[in-house]
Amino acid sequence: MLVSLALPLVVTNAFAIDILIRVLLFAFIGVAWNLMGGYAKQLSLGHAAYFGLGAYTSTILLVRFGISPWVGILAGGVVAMLASVPIGALCFRLRGPYFAIATIATAQVLMLLFLKFRDFAWGAEGTTIPNLGNAPLMMQFPGKAGYYYLALVLLAIGLVITRLIERSWMGYYLIAVGEDQDAAEAIGVNVPRIKRDIYMISAFLTALAGTFYVQYIYFIDPATAFSFNVSVEAALVSIVGGIGTLWGPVLGTALLEPTSALLQSWLGSGRGGVQLIVYAAILMAVILWRPSGLIGLLTRRADAPEAESAPVNG
Amino acid sequence: MAEALAVRGLCKRFGGLRAVAELSFAVNEGETVALIGPNGAGKTTSFNLISGYHRPDAGSILAFGRELVGLAPFAVCASGVARTFQVGRPFGKMTVLANVMTGAFLRDKHVHAARQRAREAIAFVGLSAKENSLASDLTTIDERRLELARALATQPRLLLLDEVMAGLNPTEIDQAVALIGQLSQRGLTIVIVEHVMRAIMAVARRIVVLDHGQKIAEGSPSEIVTNQDVIRAYLGTGYAHRAGSETDPC
Repeated sequence: MLVSLALPLVVTNAFAIDILIRVLLFAFIGVAWNLMGGYAKQLSLGHAAYFGLGAYTSTILLVRFGISPWVGILAGGVVAMLASVPIGALCFRLRGPYFAIATIATAQVLMLLFLKFRDFAWGAEGTTIPNLGNAPLMMQFPGKAGYYYLALVLLAIGLVITRLIERSWMGYYLIAVGEDQDAAEAIGVNVPRIKRDIYMISAFLTALAGTFYVQYIYFIDPATAFSFNVSVEAALVSIVGGIGTLWGPVLGTALLEPTSALLQSWLGSGRGGVQLIVYAAILMAVILWRPSGLIGLLTRRADAPEAESAPVNG
Repeated sequence: MAEALAVRGLCKRFGGLRAVAELSFAVNEGETVALIGPNGAGKTTSFNLISGYHRPDAGSILAFGRELVGLAPFAVCASGVARTFQVGRPFGKMTVLANVMTGAFLRDKHVHAARQRAREAIAFVGLSAKENSLASDLTTIDERRLELARALATQPRLLLLDEVMAGLNPTEIDQAVALIGQLSQRGLTIVIVEHVMRAIMAVARRIVVLDHGQKIAEGSPSEIVTNQDVIRAYLGTGYAHRAGSETDPC
């Protein structure tokens, strides 16, 4: 905990701190995804939809209306949350892989829409966020440390929310839905409603990450905001770390993100695509070796049964 | 006595198959009624219709005066009608306690209250020693106990038990019969689908016999075992002579 707070004071290398920020950001996205994809096992591959909606909402508010991204980030969360209701109503009719495919489509459709919204949302060109220098009230910081702490706060919020849900009736209901939807309904779990609710929470959090990201890179276009990579990364870090666990997505990101970035910088300049092949090989090895996630290596079964917190084995 | 369950003119087709045809029967409050019949007679389909997993093509299902047709399974459960599954369906990654708590949350969303109620249900079915075991590690009999505890935790007034005794040995069947007897004494209304005739004779006050989706007989256990239609369709000619003996006709 203290280490994570002190890190920017020690680490001054811009490349290193950029990696750390990306780790925190994707860990946060993973945590948001994990609420629905991990606990309730509704494998969404379309979370970029909410990432993008968050990013575009705050950017449009900022560039068109001069509204601070601090307001925009919440507005984006609300927009994403509202969008998740009809999207969920459609996609949750499907189960398993069909659900995953439908969610991919939703993110792609949104990307196409924003490509066409030329007057309103800059179309395919995208836009840059006006750089105001040191303007914390506009969510702009002179150095990287500010972004680091903001990402850290987001991740902390995501973890606290996950913890609260995990310990409450909702956590039990989510795991029950993930295990056997029909059996859950038999004991009174309103499956459609719990899915809708968790999707709304998950979408809200993912949208916060979207706003943060465009503020951090000062640029937005549909391909960035609705990037399929965001959807995949959200699922991947959780799966590698351990789905349905509090720290799984954090662990997964802490391993994958630096690996990917370092491979990129070491091998990226060499023959095209070598870094991707190595990265894929690492992924496959981890998933084959530990299908239930790496978190199982850290937490032994013995300390899992605080019987009351609906436990998931490692 | 008031009717806990009144099924009238229930019909369900799957493609060309008539799974349930014009089925009507009633269960009084506090009564234990058995639904028997050969495989494919429509017993489990009837349960699926009552508990909201299938929507009937026609007919009505009143539970405590309330129409169940059109309700989703969770709403049926919330109205006080709980069911168990023929094949146990525990949430394998959860402990026994967490499984049962999930049921208890229906009536009270507080973790402490739910845990309390879950522990009572677990104690009732005799599973307290395994409260912290993972549900996936349970034996068949314990899986059935868990299934029952989970249903009881939702505080039903009417309980639908789908072959809770399949796969149990004679001693375990005696235990199960005793449990069902206790539930009945507590005032719970029970509908039980079962093949183990010895158990049915012990627990049921009335028996409804199905064959090809239709009711072919209804009456007290002693009437049913001598009913010629029932013997022909289900029990087999040897059964009347051996009625009350140990043998399972299946």
